Amino acid sequence: MAQVRFPNGRKLWDPVLKLNIKFLALALGSVFGLGVFVATNWLVVKGYATPGKTRVIGSHLQLLSQYFIGYRVTFFGSLFGFGYGFVSGILCGGVLGWIYNKIVDLRHGG
Amino acid sequence: MNNSRHGHNDKNVVIIGGGPAGLTAAYQLAKAGMTSVVVEKDGVLGGISRTINYKDYYFDIGGHRFFSKIGEVETLWKAVLADDLLRRKRLSRIYYNKKFFYYPLRTFNALFGLGVWKTILVIASYVRARLKPIKPEETFDQWVINRFGRRLFETFFKAYTEKVWGIPCHDIRAEWAAQRIKGLSLLIALKHAFLKSENNGSNRKDIVRTLIDEFYYPKLGPGMMWNTVAEIVKDRGSNIHVDSEVEGILWSGDRVEAIEVKDKGIRKTIPGTDFICSMPLRETIQRFKPALPLELQEAAGNLRYRDFLTVALIIKKRDIFPDQWIYVHDPDVRAGRIQNFKNWSPFMVPDPEATCLGLEYFCFEGDALWNTPDEALMEMAKKELVQLGFVASEDIADGVVVRMPKAYPVYDSASLDALKTIRLFLGRFKNFHVVGRNGQHKYNNQDHSMITAMKAVDNVLGAHHNLWTVNEEQEYQEEISPDMSRDTAWVQILTGPLAKMDKMAFAAATGIVAGMIIFLATILLVIKGGAVVGPTLALLGQYFVGYTVTVKGAFIGLAYGFILGFIFGWLFALSRNMMVAYAISRAKKTAEREKLKDFLDR
Repeated sequence: MAQVRFPNGRKLWDPVLKLNIKFLALALGSVFGLGVFVATNWLVVKGYATPGKTRVIGSHLQLLSQYFIGYRVTFFGSLFGFGYGFVSGILCGGVLGWIYNKIVDLRHGG
Repeated sequence: MNNSRHGHNDKNVVIIGGGPAGLTAAYQLAKAGMTSVVVEKDGVLGGISRTINYKDYYFDIGGHRFFSKIGEVETLWKAVLADDLLRRKRLSRIYYNKKFFYYPLRTFNALFGLGVWKTILVIASYVRARLKPIKPEETFDQWVINRFGRRLFETFFKAYTEKVWGIPCHDIRAEWAAQRIKGLSLLIALKHAFLKSENNGSNRKDIVRTLIDEFYYPKLGPGMMWNTVAEIVKDRGSNIHVDSEVEGILWSGDRVEAIEVKDKGIRKTIPGTDFICSMPLRETIQRFKPALPLELQEAAGNLRYRDFLTVALIIKKRDIFPDQWIYVHDPDVRAGRIQNFKNWSPFMVPDPEATCLGLEYFCFEGDALWNTPDEALMEMAKKELVQLGFVASEDIADGVVVRMPKAYPVYDSASLDALKTIRLFLGRFKNFHVVGRNGQHKYNNQDHSMITAMKAVDNVLGAHHNLWTVNEEQEYQEEISPDMSRDTAWVQILTGPLAKMDKMAFAAATGIVAGMIIFLATILLVIKGGAVVGPTLALLGQYFVGYTVTVKGAFIGLAYGFILGFIFGWLFALSRNMMVAYAISRAKKTAEREKLKDFLDR
């Protein structure tokens, strides 16, 4: 998109997108948090809905506890998971946005 | 004259031209408590916005919708005309092959109008134009063909455009068409798209209807507006001289000192401190005394105008068609448009059982059509009206011919170059302001002419508007919004997210984040240790050859994560940019089509 200016010469908008770090972090945080929350509760509901099943519910997802201390595949665990996922998403989004904007500044001038 | 009331007792303002621009200037000065002298060459005020009264049948020269997105202008109309300003619903269609077509074209209307076979050919031609557009687009016909296909161009655009401008479409340079079409701001396209998505289309429909499908119109035509304005300014002490031709503009250094006029045969000099001039720019330059250098005279000579004449016919028939005007696209008929004045305002026709139609013929002053005697013109108009199938010859009771010189300034490359030279010269005068359509040699509609006059009055009172650009800005502003500062915020909100995403930057950022996630996930497990370290994470080795849950593996995972994240990020940014470009292109094309309607209206 070419640079566009007002008739008085004022710059209308930057031709290259700059990411809003806060919004990106918040968005990724929400997606990650909700992802873990939904994935956990899905397994919880599925487990209770299958009577007579003896094995542990969500043994693979349970491995998240390697990183998210206190996380379990239970409803309360899903709340923990949401918190961890949210924070992780915020960190990833923040870093992603920050690096992107820095590179854009370097390549196109801030 | 007494201009002391508002502290401008040193001002003596002379206005050249009694059209919408000149009279608006006089009105604005009167509002500021100042008087002025208006000099009009013609015996009738209103310029091209006059209304002719023939045996109590009123008719307009060209049809003037009172339609503006400029608040000040609308306020002035309402203040002057009050209850005499009617609100009308617009209907104007294309008449071709004895059928009416809406513009923008409506599928079923076009299908029934053209017939199935022709419609198939039109669609095929459109598809062909879209698949194989003409590159580069250098002329008006190429521009239209690329958007509508050759068949639609030949059916709906070619004949009419050539009638209006008197030159083949392939000789109309794209830069000329660009003034009205290609110059369409991308922002208006975005705004349309924005409004559509914001309001789910419903509110937008109302907005479009309000702004385009309805207009105001004075009970007795636009002349009513300007005659009322003239009365108001005269009541407030200004002088208006009709039948007064400006013969000289006396200048010295960087000031205009006075004008020489021939007022009803008597020569006199009118001095002034400030001059607002809406006289055609070519004549303005030629009237300067002492005469201007040859370069400027030649530049003025390059300014051309398109003229037209109206043959108004009184017909003993109650209803003929419901449109205010129709575009006549049949190439074997010379009339370009037909006005139905009763549909503009029912008060314009005294006999409800009669109708008054105005057949408009575009020509150049002095050409064969222009010089055709009135009787012959009326015969031609009658014959064409019968040929078009609207009336029988015995229905036509009476008629009159009105010639309107300099109706449209012509934009060609010679006149654009000439304008640059003239603007540069006129820029030296601080007390001489050119305004209006012909005054600035610009496609000003009535409202644009009025706003230039308003800004000129501001300049007389001490402002420093650049009148040459104020109208361009105005047009720009009306497309965006009346408030520049609000625009900035709006534009940023709207266009910010539509800017192009830097693919490399996003790919690199995604790559770094993905690589770091794998690196940290691996290292964390390595630090935690255990009999078997990270057996599940080690499954990544199925895809990342050489990856293990070790310190070395963490670095290998970092590299793999970076590469994978980079590819994903690049593809994401690419598809996102493509989607945005597609959305903008769609919005722009829609807006261009709407703008083309505006082009036809001129």
